[in-house]
Amino acid sequence: MAYSGMGDPTIYLDNAATTWPKPAAVRGAVQRALTVYGANPGRSGHSMGMAASAAVYRCREALAGFFHLEDPSKVVFVQNCTMALNTVIKGLLKQGGRMVVSDLEHNAVMRPLYALSPDAPIYDVASVVPGNTPATVAAFERCITPETRGIVCTHASNVFGTRLPIREIGAMAHRHGLAFVVDGAQSAGLLPIDMQRDNVDFLCIPGHKALYGPAGIGALLCSGGRLLPALVEGGTGSQSLSLQQPEELPDRLESGTLNTVGICGLEAGISFVRERGMQELAEREIWLMARLYDRLADMRGVKLYTPRPDLRLSAPVLSFNLDGRRSEEVAQALDRRKICCRAGLHCAPSAHRHFGTLETGAVRLAPSAFTTREEIDRVSRAIWCEAHAARHSAGRGENPGP
Amino acid sequence: MDNVIFNVSSVTNAMRGKTLLEHNGIRAYVGRTIDADGNNGCGYSITVPEGAGAERAERLLKSAGIRIRSKQWTD
Repeated sequence: MAYSGMGDPTIYLDNAATTWPKPAAVRGAVQRALTVYGANPGRSGHSMGMAASAAVYRCREALAGFFHLEDPSKVVFVQNCTMALNTVIKGLLKQGGRMVVSDLEHNAVMRPLYALSPDAPIYDVASVVPGNTPATVAAFERCITPETRGIVCTHASNVFGTRLPIREIGAMAHRHGLAFVVDGAQSAGLLPIDMQRDNVDFLCIPGHKALYGPAGIGALLCSGGRLLPALVEGGTGSQSLSLQQPEELPDRLESGTLNTVGICGLEAGISFVRERGMQELAEREIWLMARLYDRLADMRGVKLYTPRPDLRLSAPVLSFNLDGRRSEEVAQALDRRKICCRAGLHCAPSAHRHFGTLETGAVRLAPSAFTTREEIDRVSRAIWCEAHAARHSAGRGENPGP
Repeated sequence: MDNVIFNVSSVTNAMRGKTLLEHNGIRAYVGRTIDADGNNGCGYSITVPEGAGAERAERLLKSAGIRIRSKQWTD
């Protein structure tokens, strides 16, 4: 049956891609932005335009406060985390050089690096040792060469949830005089990030995941003195007589009309996370994933790839496979049971290579603030049924493929 | 005494300056720059009303790294 969006008992566990549902306050903020903040922010001087500018600035302040960035003007709005990563990576390497990455990176990191030099890789890959901070930091440090300009790494794997010790990696990067860039796609809103204490120079975040904003809004937060070149030039509403892109942030990296609606929704999402408590949200989601993990671990024919979810070591993301069935097939079967999840490679072949699932992909489940224990138990039963069906098919010698 | 207008580079810096001044007890307003010298093109400004402490406001803005592009006085 096709999803109608009108009261279906759908269980949505694709929150690692985009959180859903959005909090009522976010939906209200979006509606209010469309109604009240309709003018272009930072362009005109009339009262509606100034109100829109003030609304945008409130979100800059909210983000700066949330991630411990002193100056809200160093919060740059972009459409998503990918654009933020492209801006930083291509900016830092504009004059040449290399980057160090982890072996768990998303294509939002790997493809920009590849595009800069398709014939000769300009990145060195550090192999993460899950749960072992000294070994992981040492792996990064071994990759540094005289040409290295910076380290860019995910805070938590988007497939397996594995956390990276960003504070320690950042400290090591700074000892070597390198820029430290964090991909916060899976952690922003769930795991604490303090740009000062964690030694983060550039933090790239989406608004539409654990910060509960709408799709189409993200941010690049810049700390320290490195001035990135603009990836896109254009109108900024400032210094218009000059053909040269303004030097000051955020205008330098914010050409064109901003997504006021998304920004207002994002600010409401940040408030939602603050009110619910980030630590409480994360602990609850990890508890849900651990509950599911325990049930899957006891099932015949279910393959798990990580230790039991533990907030000290992982974000609340759980991936698995069923013996004899392709991951995409399992996701389709779960969809028929009204369970939304994502299978395949999740735009992160590096992470799948690390965990040995490059050939099979995996089925990924991720909860949100709205996921209930009952839903997790329903998902557990559904997976048991699918695993049982796979064994039954295999026993009859049927081809388990689609 | 007149109102003092601090012209800054962007609406973000203007908003940041306004917030900073208000946190320090100085009333301030953000508006579009009426650029008397015509050198900069579009921009925004922070207006500090007469008697609200323009000199202190200027020191606060500069200490926060907010670049004042020019300064004007109005009735």
